[in-house]
Amino acid sequence: MHSVWQRLKSDHYGMGGLLVVALFALATLTVWTGLFGQGWAEVSGNSWESTSAAHWFGTNLLGQDIFQRTLFGAATAFEVGLVVTGFSTLLGAILGGLSGWYSKGWVDEIILWIKGVLDSIPFYLFAAAVAFALQGRPWAMHLAMIVTFWTTTARIVRGEVIRIRQQEFIEAARAIGLSQLTILFRHVLPNTVHILLVQATIVFVAAIKTEVILSFLGLGIQDGVSWGLMLAESSQEVLAGHFGNFIAASAALFLLLMGFNLLADALQDATDTRGAMT
Amino acid sequence: MSAPVLEIANLSIWLDTTTGRRQVVDNISFSIEAGDTTGLVGESGCGKTMTALAILGLLPASNTHMRCSFIKVKGRDMLGLDGQQRRQVLGHDIAMVFQQPGTALDPVFTIGQQISSVYRRHIGGSRESANRATLKSLEQTGFDHPEEIVRTYPHQLSGGMKQLAMIAMASICHPAVLIADEPTTALDNTTQALIIKQLQRLRTAHGTAILLISHDLAVIRSLCREVLVMYCGRLLEKTDCTRLFSTPRHPYSAGLISCIPIISPQRPGSINTIPGQVPVSTDLPTGCHFSPRCDRTVDRCQQSVPQFETDGDHQVACFRPLP
Repeated sequence: MHSVWQRLKSDHYGMGGLLVVALFALATLTVWTGLFGQGWAEVSGNSWESTSAAHWFGTNLLGQDIFQRTLFGAATAFEVGLVVTGFSTLLGAILGGLSGWYSKGWVDEIILWIKGVLDSIPFYLFAAAVAFALQGRPWAMHLAMIVTFWTTTARIVRGEVIRIRQQEFIEAARAIGLSQLTILFRHVLPNTVHILLVQATIVFVAAIKTEVILSFLGLGIQDGVSWGLMLAESSQEVLAGHFGNFIAASAALFLLLMGFNLLADALQDATDTRGAMT
Repeated sequence: MSAPVLEIANLSIWLDTTTGRRQVVDNISFSIEAGDTTGLVGESGCGKTMTALAILGLLPASNTHMRCSFIKVKGRDMLGLDGQQRRQVLGHDIAMVFQQPGTALDPVFTIGQQISSVYRRHIGGSRESANRATLKSLEQTGFDHPEEIVRTYPHQLSGGMKQLAMIAMASICHPAVLIADEPTTALDNTTQALIIKQLQRLRTAHGTAILLISHDLAVIRSLCREVLVMYCGRLLEKTDCTRLFSTPRHPYSAGLISCIPIISPQRPGSINTIPGQVPVSTDLPTGCHFSPRCDRTVDRCQQSVPQFETDGDHQVACFRPLP
C-alpha cells in the first residue's frame, strides 16, 4: 500500500483528480456538519435572480439559492456514491470470492446464474421497477444500484481468486490447518484489495452518474436536492433563457466525474504491479 | 530405537488428466522415527511432492484418487480423522516447508503476523504470548534481529530469509514431523547451508522427524540418515545414507550418484548422464519402469515388477542389483 501511494504521488493527473475529489468531499462534509448548504429549500430571493454577493450562482424559479442547492447536491451525490460503493463492493467481494473459491461447484453455479440474470435486465428498466415497487422509500434507488453494481466487482474478484487460489501460500495455509472459509477470507480476499480499491472508484463514478440520471427521470432522490433534479428544473428554464441551474449542476457533475476518473485511472496504474514485483 | 512418528503403508495415487487416469505413486511404504531424517530422492515428476501432499491430506479431491492402508502421525491414523480433527494435526504435529519461499508466504501480511497466527491457531493464548513465541522461534532459526523481521513483509526479504522464516513458522509448535519439499532448490549454495543447519537444529533440539524431499543428492547426503530412491512413482531403493553413496545397489541409484557433478580441476566439463529420458506417466514401460534405460536389463525386468527384498537394512527392488 505504501508503494501504491508513492506511485500515485508521481502521477500529476491522478493528484489533480484527487484534489478535485477532495474539494467536493470537503464541501460534502460542510453540508453534513451543518455549516453550509442548509438553506437549500428556503426561498431567499426573487425568481431567477442573477449572480450576486447574496446568491453566488443566482436563484431558481422559486427564488431558492442555486449555490446552496449545488452544494447540497454534492452531499447527495457523495451519500449515494458511498452507500452504493460500500455495499456493492462488499457484496461483490464476498460473492465473487465464494464463486472463485468454489469455482465449478454448485455455489459458483448459483452465483453465476444470479449474476447472469441481473446483468440481462436493462438497468434503467430495473431501477424504475424497483423504484415503483418501493414507492416513497428513499433508499429504493440505492437498492437498485447495489443489486446491479456488485456483479462487475464479483466477476473481477472471481477471476483474481481463481488465480490466487493456485498460489503456494494458499497451500501453505492449508498445511497449517486453516479451514476453507478462513483461508478465503483471511488470505485470499485481502490479496484482492488493490482490485477492490480500483473497482470501488469506478463504481463510485457510476453511482453518482446514475443517481443524477435517475433523479432527472424522477426515479431518484425524493427528499432533497440532487444535481439531477436541478437539471430537470433547468430543462424548462433554459428555454426561457435562465442558465443558472443548468450550468451549476452540469459543471459540478462534470468536475467531480472528471476528477474521479483521473483518480481511478491513476489508481489503476499505481496498483498494477504485474511484472514489477515477483 | 524410538517408535516411528510417521508411518505410511501402501500409498498409491492416481491423477485424472485430460488424457485419462494415470498412476503417479505406486504402492509405497516407509516410516520415520523421532529425531530421524529420511531423504526422498527422485527426478522431477516422479511423485515426491504428491506423496508429501498425500501425507498432509492436501491432494486436490477433484482430480486425484488415493488408496492407502494408513498414514500414521504419532501413531494416529490421519485417514480416519474428519476435516476438523485433521486441521488440528496440520501445523501442530506435522508441518511443511515449501519449495518456493517467494510464493509460500502471504504477500499482504507481515512475517510476524503470519508466524504468530500459526501459534494462536494451535496453542492459543494471548497475543503477547504468541508474539513472544514468534520472536523466540525467529531467533532460534538464526535471525539476529527478530523484532525487526516480524515487522517486514515477505517481499522485503531475500529468498533465503523467507525460507528461514518459513522454517520458523513451521517449527513454532515444535511439530513431531516436518516435511521439507525441496527446501533449498530455489536458493544459492551458502543459503542452502543455512537452511540445512536449521533443519539439523530442529532435529536435535526438538527431536523433529524430517522427511526431506529433494533431487539434490548433496543436500540429502549432508542431512539424512536414511534415503528412499523413487522413480516413476515407485520406491527402488531404501537404505542408510552412507551405504547408498558408497555401495548403491540399484542401477538407477548408482546412475544418479555418478551424475553428481564433481568440481575437479583435472576433469573440467565432465558430467555423467543416465541414457534415455524419464518416461511419461501415461506411457510407462511394463515391468521395472527403469528397465529401458538400464544397462543391466534382462528379459525378466520387462515382464514383471521387482519387489523389495524384505530382509536386511538395505532394500532394493531389482532383479539384478549391483553387488
